[in-house]
Amino acid sequence: MRDLLLLRRRFHGEGYREGYEEGSSLGMIEGRQHGTLHGAKIGSEIGCYQGFAFAWRGLLHSCATERDSKKMKVLEALIGMIQKFPYDDPTYDKLHEDLDRIRGKFKQLCSLLNVQPDFKISTEGSGLSF
Amino acid sequence: MKDSLVLLSRILAHPDSRCWFLAWNPAGTLLASCGGDRSVRIWGREGDSWICKSVLCEGHQRTVRKVAWSPCGNYLASASFDATTCIWKKNEDDFECVTTLEGHENEVKSVAWAPSGNLLATCSRDKSVWVWEVDEEDEYECVSVLNSHTQDVKHVVWHPSQELLASASYDDTVKLYREEEDDWVCCATLEGHESTVWSLAFDPSGQRLASCSDDRTVRIWRQYLPGNEQGVACSGSEASWKCVCTLSGFHSRTIYDVAWCQLTGTLATACGDDAIRVFEEDPGSDPQQPTFSLTAHVPQAHSQDVNCVAWNPKERGLLASCSDDGELAFWKYQPSEGI
Repeated sequence: MRDLLLLRRRFHGEGYREGYEEGSSLGMIEGRQHGTLHGAKIGSEIGCYQGFAFAWRGLLHSCATERDSKKMKVLEALIGMIQKFPYDDPTYDKLHEDLDRIRGKFKQLCSLLNVQPDFKISTEGSGLSF
Repeated sequence: MKDSLVLLSRILAHPDSRCWFLAWNPAGTLLASCGGDRSVRIWGREGDSWICKSVLCEGHQRTVRKVAWSPCGNYLASASFDATTCIWKKNEDDFECVTTLEGHENEVKSVAWAPSGNLLATCSRDKSVWVWEVDEEDEYECVSVLNSHTQDVKHVVWHPSQELLASASYDDTVKLYREEEDDWVCCATLEGHESTVWSLAFDPSGQRLASCSDDRTVRIWRQYLPGNEQGVACSGSEASWKCVCTLSGFHSRTIYDVAWCQLTGTLATACGDDAIRVFEEDPGSDPQQPTFSLTAHVPQAHSQDVNCVAWNPKERGLLASCSDDGELAFWKYQPSEGI
């Protein structure tokens, strides 16, 4: 009888440990996939903005009227925000706040330049979606 | 409570359609209405009756949700579900669309001019609030796109004397914005409502803000500056806003609009239960915990939801309201003796 109890306890413990390890490793894989997916999305979105901004910086540099100086200022502000964005710190607590500010600055720039971007901005807004 | 809100006249302003919003010009001589029929109408008084002076129907492809007069009274802005905002210039009785502001991804829900007339704010179902700057040549430039709300932004309103902007949203919050180093930033979030915040109104001093909601309450928020005597905590040099009064138990449905009379300080509300209610602040009530009394209540002010109430800026007690039934009504509010 005592042996039976001991055995039960032992297998219970082992089962728990094995399950925990299995779960952890699966969770790790899932988390990594999720992170990669979302990170890639954010990266490509910001990459688009950066490419757009650099192209326009090149275009605006050649002609500098007073009106363009305003555009240039917003353009530089956007590039500054993109460069400051912490790409290597996924735990940064203002990640989505900063991303929303970059999106806003980009829209403002499009409005000032009077252009409509041909790439779609993700409309899911900030926050993770599962 | 005396029934002291008397109907002066009633007009079918937007037939077979909803009448969404009203705006008095600064002189109080003209009233603009807008509706689901994609038009803006301008109403003026002739004798005892109100006449339609102009119909602005060329500007928008969809419902016109809100209208706003510039502080000089020479321009009218209209916000539409077609994602654009039109700026109309007034020449005598004629209005000409001089600019169309584009940029919002979808329905523009509200528009408001800053007291200086140099800034304009718009908000949309795309969750953003845009601030536009107007130069001498009537050119509009976007100075900021604010993505602070997490849902549809329903209303924007400016402080009566400062460049402080407030917005109300489907995310149940009110947010305040100010300029900081060439950009605009959200400087306060007012949390407390339990459902969509539909509209906002500053009191004449700008020290208090009233908000109305789908949760059937009106909340009064008060500004506390750093170092205030009441000891309300502020972070750094930022003012903080605290809810000092909640009007609950008066409304049986969503409150769509709240108007704070700039002449008398009287509050009026537009409600989904078809009623208009008027509240007065109790004399001698503690400024830190003010109390308000219902002084007038017209249960069937309209046959459907009341969408908007607007106090005339020059004539005391003259109130305009409009409804889903397409009607526009004028009321005279007479405070009974002794209050």
